Amino acid sequence: MKAYLELIILLPLLGAIINALLGGRLLSRRASEWLACAVIWGSFAATLAAAIVYRAPATVEIVSWLSDFDFKASLTLYLDPLSLSLCLMITFVCGLIHLYAVGYMKDDPSSVRFFALLNLFVAAMLMLVLAENLPLLYLGWEGVGFCSYALIGFWHTKPANATAGRKAFIVTRIGDTGLGIAVVWMFELFGTESIPHLNQMGHLLPAGIVTALGLLMLLAAMGKSAQVPLMVWLPDAMAGPTPVSAQIHAATMVTAGVYLLMRMFPLIGVSPTVTAAIAITGALTAFYGATCALVQRDLKRILAYSTISQIGYMMLGVGAGAITAATFHLLVHAFFKALLFLGAGCVITALHHEQDIFRMGGLRRTLPGIFWPFLAGALCLAGVPLTGGFFSKDGILGAVWLKGGALYGGLYVVGLVTAFITAVYTARMVLVVFCGDGIHPLPPGGGGLGRGGLKQLPRIMEWPLIPLAILGLCGGLLNLPEYMGNGLLHLFLLSLGSHEQTLPHSTEILLQGVAAAVAAAGILTAWFRYGGKRRQESLAKEQKPAGGIAAFLLEGWRVDALYDLLLVRPYTRLSTFLWQQLDEGCIDDSLDRMASLFGRCGQWLGGRGQGRVSLSLLGMAAGAALMVFWMVWGMP
Amino acid sequence: MNQFPFLTLLLFLPLAGAFLLLTMTGREKLARSTALTIAVAETVLACSAWFCQGNSSARGYFLFEDRPWIETLGIRYTVGMDGITLLLVTLTALVTVIAMLVSWRSITERVALHFLLILAMESGIMGVFLSLDLFLFYLFWELMLIPMFFLISIWGHDRNIYSAVKFFLYTLVGSLLMLLAIIGVYLIHGEQSGIYSFGLAALTGTRFSPATGLLLYGAFLLAFAVKFPLVPLHTWLPDAHTDAPTAGSVILAGLLLKTGAYGLIRFGYPLFPEAARTLSPLLIGLAVAGIIYASWIAFAQKDMKRLVAYSSIGHMGFVALGIAVWTPVALSGALLQMVNHGLTTTALFALVGMLDERAHTRQIEDYGGLWGKIPLFSAFFVLFAMASAGLPGLNNFVGEFLILTGSFKSAHLATALAFIGVILPLVYTVRLVQEVIFQEERRPLPMADISSRELFILAFLALADLYIGLHPAPLLEILKAPVALLTGGVP
Repeated sequence: MKAYLELIILLPLLGAIINALLGGRLLSRRASEWLACAVIWGSFAATLAAAIVYRAPATVEIVSWLSDFDFKASLTLYLDPLSLSLCLMITFVCGLIHLYAVGYMKDDPSSVRFFALLNLFVAAMLMLVLAENLPLLYLGWEGVGFCSYALIGFWHTKPANATAGRKAFIVTRIGDTGLGIAVVWMFELFGTESIPHLNQMGHLLPAGIVTALGLLMLLAAMGKSAQVPLMVWLPDAMAGPTPVSAQIHAATMVTAGVYLLMRMFPLIGVSPTVTAAIAITGALTAFYGATCALVQRDLKRILAYSTISQIGYMMLGVGAGAITAATFHLLVHAFFKALLFLGAGCVITALHHEQDIFRMGGLRRTLPGIFWPFLAGALCLAGVPLTGGFFSKDGILGAVWLKGGALYGGLYVVGLVTAFITAVYTARMVLVVFCGDGIHPLPPGGGGLGRGGLKQLPRIMEWPLIPLAILGLCGGLLNLPEYMGNGLLHLFLLSLGSHEQTLPHSTEILLQGVAAAVAAAGILTAWFRYGGKRRQESLAKEQKPAGGIAAFLLEGWRVDALYDLLLVRPYTRLSTFLWQQLDEGCIDDSLDRMASLFGRCGQWLGGRGQGRVSLSLLGMAAGAALMVFWMVWGMP
Repeated sequence: MNQFPFLTLLLFLPLAGAFLLLTMTGREKLARSTALTIAVAETVLACSAWFCQGNSSARGYFLFEDRPWIETLGIRYTVGMDGITLLLVTLTALVTVIAMLVSWRSITERVALHFLLILAMESGIMGVFLSLDLFLFYLFWELMLIPMFFLISIWGHDRNIYSAVKFFLYTLVGSLLMLLAIIGVYLIHGEQSGIYSFGLAALTGTRFSPATGLLLYGAFLLAFAVKFPLVPLHTWLPDAHTDAPTAGSVILAGLLLKTGAYGLIRFGYPLFPEAARTLSPLLIGLAVAGIIYASWIAFAQKDMKRLVAYSSIGHMGFVALGIAVWTPVALSGALLQMVNHGLTTTALFALVGMLDERAHTRQIEDYGGLWGKIPLFSAFFVLFAMASAGLPGLNNFVGEFLILTGSFKSAHLATALAFIGVILPLVYTVRLVQEVIFQEERRPLPMADISSRELFILAFLALADLYIGLHPAPLLEILKAPVALLTGGVP
């Protein structure tokens, strides 16, 4: 077990180090690409092996890290059902993304740097998931932040990209302070940083402290998982290469916040205030993301807002205490969101880097190899019955329903409304991009044309979509509702000790019926607007610059502008003010004045002495003699 | 105790070298290589001290020399080395070598004098770290000031004379007050016990009335706070750094700033435990205010050196916080952070110096797109910038994290605020990296990627950063015994 666990982490890390040091010099480009893929698949194999021999939660100490007096945090890995299922998903999905990236980065001159960072990203995420203690989790947590920064701004010559990377890093770091404070506070309270130990101590504490700790961790989760109000970095994060977007949105990074809350749930879940706050944040974010996705024109931006929204569902699930349902949705979402992003990357590449959906259309016929998998992903996202996304979303909504009460009842309604909007924007995206006649942009400079003026895609970009599509569609089998059999995942995660109740079968079927109706209604709504003959009319209407509520949604509720006004500009201005007015103008200046005052006094005194050197020398000699006299005879 | 005067050798080898260099004025190459040889020999000497750790005496000093010097006044030549000193002495030797290497080509006038002053300063700093007699300490404290004054005023740029004088006056005012306080402690102790001595061991445990204690401790604190520097006594530092030659900046940030923190740990707290405890809320407040204030100002800087200088003030605020709360974990974190800051800031100043050498400008707005032109340099730049921003896995995180862990118990609010202070360095760092390394080049500047000499400097510092970031255990182990002795913790 120990060897497997070490391999899971070390392989991607090794890949990153070798590529960073030798790539481009000793290693050929081809070799470094395949090395990057091989280490991830090796890590997947190790995870699979660990899953096969897995019997009970295992703790493996690899090497000491920080240890000072009573403080101890070593490089210790912890494998339990939760971390195991996440590791399987991460290594598998990232493995596919890496393969895809080989094709995607075919023409990029700095692909070595790209693959080194991509490997490091996976290593950091695995470290986060497998960490046994909080400082180590924090190491992975910040590592993920750094990699996202470097990868979002990968094409750094364009200021917008570099700024997007910087924004992601800073916004998530703001959330990280919550985690940092919680980490040192928990050490003070319990004298340990070990997560399994901490999780047994929730009820030993006064409720107020648990609530405070939970809220601090929620703050951290808001940053990493792009929840309201720290969600502003994610829509810009799609500035990076598409494989990076897929990796950030599906397998790594954004799920980290949800994972933290699930990991620490036995501790923080004790406080009803915390669970309510988590649930409200989740529901609000789900609604926010869905409404913004409704009007976006950039294909990747639609997907980005849908990620925000779907992660909101996961948070809602955690807030309802349904860890299994949240994990289930996390896994299924990883499959279909990776699929959608990779599919979108294919579409965008084929169209010579066109991202505006209004300049697409009719791709159903020209790109069938992309269309069918993409459709599968879209069905999951829209929550069409019997897809993985349907079951996982339903599990969360069911859990919220079960919680009952005014608050959770309201949140259930919000969840349902969001599900409707989700179906609408998903169907809009598919209809506009793949149906109709199509308005193809002309390729710049011509040449390299494949089917119908499209750029030929490498095969390696197309086939990773297939396994993801199958997993997305059949993901429901992972955790079927009780009346259909049993939930594999449910049984597997039972050992986590969460006491999740199950709905009566009749209620569950009823709720699923409602969810199915909502999804169908959403898709129909989109069809009435964008399907068939009405397509041209609606598109022409939306081509015009948006106004009113559409513009408000297009700009993400204008939160960016608000933060710019409230935070960014005051910070910048105050910085200059503090420097020029306070530091140099006040503190430094007063000292300069004091110095010149002394200088003038000296000049005045010098004037008195009229520059007679002999007098000065005489005075100096007398003083020195007096001192020597005192030192030799005067001292006791 | 030790027959071979190891510490004396360590202390005076650079000074002897400085005198040797006096004979070499005008012979540049010879002077340079002699100076480097001596600095390397000193490093070897400092590193060999790591093997002497076995025979530790009761007070934790494993190397100790004590000889009478001016007996009528009770002044003795007492020097000793414990884990804290060992770490700082090693840092001093290494940073001196690096300071020589970074100025290898950039200094073309009065070369012998330049290297002579660096060696003299090394002796002064070694003396500060090794002295256990207050008079001796004061002597070295002043000695290290003079070479720095000349380094800035002769080889500096822009307003070099102004900055040098400012630096000199600032530190002198602090240290003169400290001299008065030293004499005060000496007299009070003499009256109490009848034995007049400047020895730290003898003076520890002297009883002061609360008012006298506060007054004397205040004078010490003032001298150390200027060196730290703590806000609002910091305004000499941005000027001195900006106008100093690269070697000057490196030594200033890497070593001189550490002497204030060291003085507080070795002399301030042990001599005046009550007064120190009374004033610790003040120190905590100044530390946290400094972290936030300086990091905030760093964001607005246009000159790269000035930015790094302000970042230095912010980082030293963490060290001050760790000392102020005086718990074992925080104090060892603070000591480790002194080393970390020494390494990382040295690297940053060296990097800025390399840019300045190539393009003769330090303005951020003149650069841009360096990754496309000099990728190796840029990779190092990003690495050290991230270390400075406290990315886990690199050295600064370890120190900051231990300080915050150790200080949370005694200062909840201050620690929480200091956590906010962890965001701000990231903000100015990523801005710096974006404008200098990323984006498009803004002015066509002559740029060559790093030479093998520069690669050696940077690779060495990078390895040290990574090593401390990933495996700080050996260093923390060395600090354990002396920190436990100082704080009364259980090792």
